[in-house]
Amino acid sequence: MLVVKSLDVDINGTPILRDIGLTIDNGEIIGLIGRNGAGKTTFLRSVMGLIPVNAGSVLHGRDEINKLPGYKRAHMGFGYMPEDRRLVPEMTAEQNILVPVWSTGIEDFQSRLQWIYKIIPECQKFRETPATSLSGGQQKLVALARALMVGKNLLLLDEPTEGIAPVLALRMGEILASLKAEGVSIIIAESNDAHVADVIDRTYVIERGSIVSD
Amino acid sequence: MLEDKTSKFVLFGGVLIILAGAFAPNWIVNQFMFGFSRALAIVGLMVLWRTGLVSFGHAFYFGLGAYAVAILDIQLGVTDVFLRLLAGALVAGLAGFLLGFILRNYRDIFFAMLNTAISMVLFGIVVKTESLGSTDGFAISMSTIFGLAPETKYPLFVIITSVGVIAALLVNYYLKTTYGRLTTAIRDNEIRVEYLGFSVAHAIHLKYTISTILAGGAGALMAMSLGQVDPESMINWTVSGELVFVTILSGPGNVIAPFIGSLVFEVLRTYAFELAPQAWQLIMGATFLTIIFFLPGGIWSLLEKLGGRKNGK
Repeated sequence: MLVVKSLDVDINGTPILRDIGLTIDNGEIIGLIGRNGAGKTTFLRSVMGLIPVNAGSVLHGRDEINKLPGYKRAHMGFGYMPEDRRLVPEMTAEQNILVPVWSTGIEDFQSRLQWIYKIIPECQKFRETPATSLSGGQQKLVALARALMVGKNLLLLDEPTEGIAPVLALRMGEILASLKAEGVSIIIAESNDAHVADVIDRTYVIERGSIVSD
Repeated sequence: MLEDKTSKFVLFGGVLIILAGAFAPNWIVNQFMFGFSRALAIVGLMVLWRTGLVSFGHAFYFGLGAYAVAILDIQLGVTDVFLRLLAGALVAGLAGFLLGFILRNYRDIFFAMLNTAISMVLFGIVVKTESLGSTDGFAISMSTIFGLAPETKYPLFVIITSVGVIAALLVNYYLKTTYGRLTTAIRDNEIRVEYLGFSVAHAIHLKYTISTILAGGAGALMAMSLGQVDPESMINWTVSGELVFVTILSGPGNVIAPFIGSLVFEVLRTYAFELAPQAWQLIMGATFLTIIFFLPGGIWSLLEKLGGRKNGK
């Protein structure tokens, strides 16, 4: 469903990604594993159209999407969870989950919201809580729920188990396993695949901006 | 739309000011006319500021609005206050919409200075063009209301206050809609807004156009209040600076703030000029510094603090 071919990305003149390629099929879960600074976040951002690409292409089905502006990705059913969560502080947990509904006009969002609450019941518990009153781990769950709301075709998760309490990291692994059972396509970027190794179908190892093994 | 506290306060305050204006001496009515005309532009700048953008060139739109009134008056003899206001807001809004395609790509100092550059081009053209009144500008005939020529300034004062009330209500409503709520989200992190499915460029373009319509309307109302336009007091960069000054003085907390801030500015300037005709700018500068040091959230934050204390918070 998504094919990335020979992607080159520079940031302020410094090459970050070099000739990077990756494919993901429907319902597949791909691991992108590499150390900090390897280029995982840059890769996910390039696929999301948030940073310009120098060369190469990103194909969604038959369409080349790397020339499209970033906000179109949400309309194409791509959900993105950044490493640092990025909730809107003025809103409650549920309002945060619903932001992509307002932008993309998802019609059956109520049933999708219930489906999300079934997979991540924690989010239903603190749905009325302001984003700022949630712990880091809870915020991460809300950010995942928000990405799920829009990510009907593909989810891109940046370090979903990083920087949260070990119990929550285990819980995140469980949630990803239930998403796998639901047939969601996911790219997971992690520096350590301890909590996600069980759910990953294939792994790409990224080092200094290039895929070194797959 | 009118259920929240701010809307009720705006409506109640507007009606009260209009009623009180009937009994107020002329000089106070004048101060309110100038203050509320300028406040319209400040409301627009406040929307931009909440998005993290400061324009140091909105005198361009303020001037376009004012000169639209003058040129319509001289060329076509249009004196109707509503036509004049509409023309000022439309001309500025159209220019803002077109320039928005370029300006929505810039941020920070580049956004601020690009606006200044554009405004100074207009200033240069007007100053050098005899048919546009050059440095002298134009005198504007009294505005009429549905064909009637009022004998006092009170009817114009009522219209300006009403326009202010309507603008404040609309912008207050806008800030609560989805696109409006994105203002601070864009300021904090643009990338987030993009991957959630909103186009930052479109959102900024819309906010910019809103701010230019308001600045144009403000210029038109100011031209009618003063009865004259000239480049120095309508388009020069000092006017843009004044607008930014009043925006910071007011604070971004609420749509009511620009109206209070603009009134304070008018009164302050009048008294500073009376007290020290040679050095009134010094008083304004000192006030500005005091606000930045002690009230970074502007006058509104002071009112909020006082209100909070009163409610026992």
